[in-house]
Amino acid sequence: MGLVCRVAEEAGIATVCLSTGRDLTAQVRPPRSLFVNYPMGNNFGGPSDLDLQTRILRRALSMIHDADVAGTLVDWEEEWPKTFAYFRGK
Amino acid sequence: MKPINYVDELNSHYGSLGFPPYQWTVNQTAPLVRLDKPLEQCTVSLLTSGGISHCSLPGFDPNARNDHRLDTVKNDADSRDFDINDSYYDHTDAEADLNCVFPIDRLRELVQDGTIGGVAARFWSGFMGRIYNRTKVLEESAPAFIEKLKEDGVDILIAAPA
Repeated sequence: MGLVCRVAEEAGIATVCLSTGRDLTAQVRPPRSLFVNYPMGNNFGGPSDLDLQTRILRRALSMIHDADVAGTLVDWEEEWPKTFAYFRGK
Repeated sequence: MKPINYVDELNSHYGSLGFPPYQWTVNQTAPLVRLDKPLEQCTVSLLTSGGISHCSLPGFDPNARNDHRLDTVKNDADSRDFDINDSYYDHTDAEADLNCVFPIDRLRELVQDGTIGGVAARFWSGFMGRIYNRTKVLEESAPAFIEKLKEDGVDILIAAPA
């Protein structure tokens, strides 16, 4: 996805990547990333938590104009309520 | 909690399954577009790589490798009408509420309240994980996708990998 964002940006489309893998995103370096330290698949939070989903989405959109530096990676401040581990399947 | 070290976890996990070592992309620079219009005038689209397919279509292969399938999603699709097939992550929450990973309802609400100008005619689902042939992404799949974004007048793409 980071690669796709880079290609889009080179073609004039502004992008923001909602990352749940900080190290993965940092090395690919998309133009703008919001790192959300939640489990993969919960980039925008938990089910039916409309308020959190909207706040994350708004924060991502705010980066379109606020990020002055290419490759900006911002950390979403709110913690996931539980610790979680790498997902190895069910 | 500290972020998970996915590079090490993925190398270990997929190495143990017999996958070849992944050649990670490391970039030192990035492109950056400076939009000259405010969000409330922008057309926004969404892209997910979470193995999310509309129920009218076959599901994604949950264990796919090098799958460049890219589905269009109508911008008025009902968020309850999707299936998720991806062994890469736990999609229990996303099955209960698609907006956890593909926030089509939340984005449409931002049109209603005037935060953004509009949603594009199409949202997108594809580029599932484990794509080893990166050159094909960079030279074929992604440019073809970007052409479609341009057809739709997209100013901003929100990309949510799973």
